[in-house]
Amino acid sequence: MSSDIVFDQAVEIPDILKSGDVVTTLVGERTRLSLRVKAADRIAVAKALGITLPAKIGKTNTKAGIMIACLGPDEWFIVGEKAKYSNLYNKALKLSSKYVMSVTDVSFRNVAVELTGPKVAEIVNVGCPLDLSLAAFPVGKCTRTVYEAAPIILHRLSEDSFAMECWRSYAPYMVGLMTAHVQGQRV
Amino acid sequence: MGDFRKTGKGVIDTQQPVSFTFDGKSYSGFKGDTLASALLANGVHLMGRSFKYHRPRGPVGAGFEEPNALVTVTRGKGRMTPNLRATAIEIYEGMMASSQNRWPGLGFDIGAFNNTFSAFFPAGFYNKTFMWPKSFWDKVYEPFIRNMAGLGPAPTEVDPDVYGAVYGHCDILIIGSGPAGLAAALAAAKKDQRVILVDENVNMGGSLIGAGHVSIDEKSASDWVAKALKDLNKADNVVLMTRTSAIGYYHDNFVALAERLTDYIPEAQIGKTREKLHRIRAGKVILAQGAIERPLVFNGNDKPGVMLTSAAQTFLNKYGVAVGKEVAVFTAHDSAYSAAFELADSNVRIAAIIDAREGVSAELISAAEGRGIDVHIGSVISKTGGKKRVRSVEVYEPVHNTQKTIACDALLMSGGWTPSLHLWSQSKGSIKWDEAKGVYLPDLANENCVCIGSCNGDFGIKAALDAGSKAGGGRKVYKTDEPVFGSGQVFDHLPNYIKPSKTKAFVDFQNDVTDKDIKLAVREGFKSIEHVKRYTTNGMATDQGKLSNLNALEIAAKALGKQAPQVGLTTFRPPYTPTTFGTFCGYRTDDLFEVTRKTAIDPWAEAQGAVFEPVGIWRRAWYFPKAGEDMHAAVARECKATRDSLGIFDASTLGKIEVVGPDAAKFMNIMYTNPWSKLGVGACRYGLMLGENGYIYDDGVVGRIAEDRFHVTTTTGGAPRVYRHMEDYLQTEFPELDVWLTSTTEQWSVIALNGPNARKLIEPFVEGIDLSPEAFPHMNVREGKICGVPTRLFRVSFSGELGFEINVPSHYGRAVWETLFAAGEQFDITPYGTETMHVLRAEKGFIIIGQDTDGTVTPQDAGMSWIVSKKKKDFVGKRSLQRSDLVAEGRKQLIGLLTDDPKTVLEEGAHIVADPDQSIPMDMLGHVTSSYWSESLGKSIAMALVKDGFNRMGDDLYIPMEGGVTHKAKVVKPVFYDPKGERLNVV
Repeated sequence: MSSDIVFDQAVEIPDILKSGDVVTTLVGERTRLSLRVKAADRIAVAKALGITLPAKIGKTNTKAGIMIACLGPDEWFIVGEKAKYSNLYNKALKLSSKYVMSVTDVSFRNVAVELTGPKVAEIVNVGCPLDLSLAAFPVGKCTRTVYEAAPIILHRLSEDSFAMECWRSYAPYMVGLMTAHVQGQRV
Repeated sequence: MGDFRKTGKGVIDTQQPVSFTFDGKSYSGFKGDTLASALLANGVHLMGRSFKYHRPRGPVGAGFEEPNALVTVTRGKGRMTPNLRATAIEIYEGMMASSQNRWPGLGFDIGAFNNTFSAFFPAGFYNKTFMWPKSFWDKVYEPFIRNMAGLGPAPTEVDPDVYGAVYGHCDILIIGSGPAGLAAALAAAKKDQRVILVDENVNMGGSLIGAGHVSIDEKSASDWVAKALKDLNKADNVVLMTRTSAIGYYHDNFVALAERLTDYIPEAQIGKTREKLHRIRAGKVILAQGAIERPLVFNGNDKPGVMLTSAAQTFLNKYGVAVGKEVAVFTAHDSAYSAAFELADSNVRIAAIIDAREGVSAELISAAEGRGIDVHIGSVISKTGGKKRVRSVEVYEPVHNTQKTIACDALLMSGGWTPSLHLWSQSKGSIKWDEAKGVYLPDLANENCVCIGSCNGDFGIKAALDAGSKAGGGRKVYKTDEPVFGSGQVFDHLPNYIKPSKTKAFVDFQNDVTDKDIKLAVREGFKSIEHVKRYTTNGMATDQGKLSNLNALEIAAKALGKQAPQVGLTTFRPPYTPTTFGTFCGYRTDDLFEVTRKTAIDPWAEAQGAVFEPVGIWRRAWYFPKAGEDMHAAVARECKATRDSLGIFDASTLGKIEVVGPDAAKFMNIMYTNPWSKLGVGACRYGLMLGENGYIYDDGVVGRIAEDRFHVTTTTGGAPRVYRHMEDYLQTEFPELDVWLTSTTEQWSVIALNGPNARKLIEPFVEGIDLSPEAFPHMNVREGKICGVPTRLFRVSFSGELGFEINVPSHYGRAVWETLFAAGEQFDITPYGTETMHVLRAEKGFIIIGQDTDGTVTPQDAGMSWIVSKKKKDFVGKRSLQRSDLVAEGRKQLIGLLTDDPKTVLEEGAHIVADPDQSIPMDMLGHVTSSYWSESLGKSIAMALVKDGFNRMGDDLYIPMEGGVTHKAKVVKPVFYDPKGERLNVV
């Protein structure tokens, strides 16, 4: 790859979101997979890939550099550090002949931001109608939802930290909505 | 005008004077005043003109229910808000307010001639008068009505203020912070639940504010409120929201709260959120909205200075303002007495209490007499004196038929209390009629919701406090020393010796509806209160029945000879109080109004000066004009360059769905009309998809990446719909198939290269793929690398030229595009947009779904029978294709048109006829679907859907246009360029 071929997510985090009650950062290049596995093969596929596939919808398993979320009855969303997990897709592909499953590479479909700070729930609630109290949305929970007009995947990283992913063309809108809210508060 | 301020009362801060202007005149008030209280303190009652008759009006209420005192407040360019209630807005230093609906001024108003001729403007006047001549409607009647009627002027400039919107959740949402709401919050705060307490006013406490004479649990009411608020502020689980109106109650306890954040701040900056919409999902909703006092319907009840007794009480207790120096009280309810006594005890002279009832408790009468107040039992007010302010009342005693005039400068009225059921009704809670109280009360809840306090008909402070505690989960029983709340009598008619034609007794002050209008509506045949409302406009606009509903109901019921519940009750519509459009929009204005999806290559196109067009919510480069070029010239150049050498096109918005699993081919066979089982790995096929009804639904090229993996493309606008269509069939009709769908639209940037030099350009950049025509023929797909990044490289063509669609990871799309573009200079590479893409495909007769099809076109109609498998047992739409009307002769069919004059480009959408000399209406055969100037062919081309089109080959048809021009065109096959497809094979 020549040096001209630069990675470009076409969205910028404005300064106003980089400091204050909530700090927003843009997540860099990641390996993302959409994995679908028949219930009967879940444990075997997980073992063969050396990962854990949580059985309950909304649960995640996060360990060294990889996050696996169960988003549907047979659906897992996987986000891994590129350096460590760039080969996971090919590994999973090889299992397809043995198990009833599908794996699709969606690494470049999404753009993710991470938000951290004591008022993080308020910023997420600008566009997301879910109850973000710890009881209703505990640490580790991950789900599909919306940020007003943008479909997103929302993952609680800690009590005061969330990751939000959307399809890349929705990212300027998602960040724009957060920015409008923070600007209106700060003036 | 004297000073009407009573020191030592209310929530105002007399240390902080505030100056403001009303209609250009300067006044002074105190911090904490509303505009109305500050004006009243200056002796000003005249604050507006009525809607229809332009009658002088002053405030009737003291809060958000106010119908009369509507004003416009302006803060500079674009920051003008009309129709604000003077009783609900706080004054701030430098505030500029003005009255409405008057010209040239509030004191002298030309429009008041309506009043003089009011006998000619009865209910339904507009409906009856402005019916004919019909041609007058647009030019004369409508502008006239719009000019005369109406509240404040609508703003015409862009509002520069920022509005916000957030979501929230709680276990208990309490609406209203009077005694009931506060007691509920105190009880709920003790449990482990999230509580939100909202109030539309600046201060919490409701009727307890300034009620210094009442004690609760041995504390003065003010101290009790202060302690309650202190406790609630300390509780971590309670959120207190003031200046916040609950405006709408929706399904599953979803309540909209409108919070006003900056309107009270002097010099409020642009950019700071002015108002915020809180969309709250609550476990339980406690409605403690209270009750609104009911006006009495008597002749002259709308003069400035005539107001609700409770309003006078609020102005006194909350703002320290006496509404007059000599105040008459007209009542049909005991509660007015205590209000009169409070005024009297604050050194306001009570001119008289006129009580419409015959029986009044001896204690009230003696308490009045003890204060030196005359009480006229069994008496009514037959007329009021004064023009822009009430100056006297005439007391009429029907039994003795006597009249007596009493001087006064304010008149208070009390017709009892109407519980506020607005939000309860919006929640679909049912209501029941309480005959004794003459009111509707909450009955059965539809949501997890309760009404407490006076909005539930439980009047009095103790009743409210106890109900509040219970609703909040507590068991506290409060002790108060309040005066007995008492009872009243509902009158559907107040006697008067003056002939009805000479009287004006208002039911709805805002809409100028009188008792006579209601009776007229009934006489003219309107029996339901909903119809009476529409005919008279009673209870419309901002009032929403707050003051007028029950009086109108009583009058209509009497006129109909029915009981009130048989006549019904009008619907309470959200918003409860007028709300700015800004609040409804929240952050969703301008760029955030709707998502604009842009591709990775979009910024490059923008930098090149591309003109864009919206396709769904995507924006796509339409054409790339060079200096001095119009669209026609740019598109002609782009087409020519592509056919001659090389064009580059951003096709990233094409929908992409990865269909993966052991049953992938089986699923494809069901979703598409053509077969997929035998498509080899690495090969592509054009696929056509039908709806269940047999009509063309979508199309696209599909590549087989592996035995169990298809790379499906869809149209740009159709992507979400096709994905849902597929998921729908997979989940509901064919759940036994082991196959999964993943949207990969945004995984890939797609760079389409078309033209004889396409292969030459990419050759140096491609690794791992043999590009030779033998190894990589047309309609194939290979995986490899381009510019060092992974690619799915399709050899396909939507232009008829040698073509490649290069799929690369989106985050590298722009870089690959720029690299190829730079290298393409040697071939005069030309970027083109969607318009050129459309022309090139039309020259080849390729259809665009939604342009050449309209949801009623079958594959047969489109001349595409070749793509419908005869062998497959089933596919979506197969059975519909057998329907008799779909196989009938003479359906509209897709054909080509060549105009007689090759320079004439037909208008898309134009109708087509066989005989241009037929008289109008002519028989329409169909319409033009696609039409372009073809630079390559040097003539115009068109496609059209025409009845029995296939049997008209070679016929001349006609396209009559506006202005008498008729174009002649010949029917041809819709393939205009390179019909044998030889250009695909350029080496």
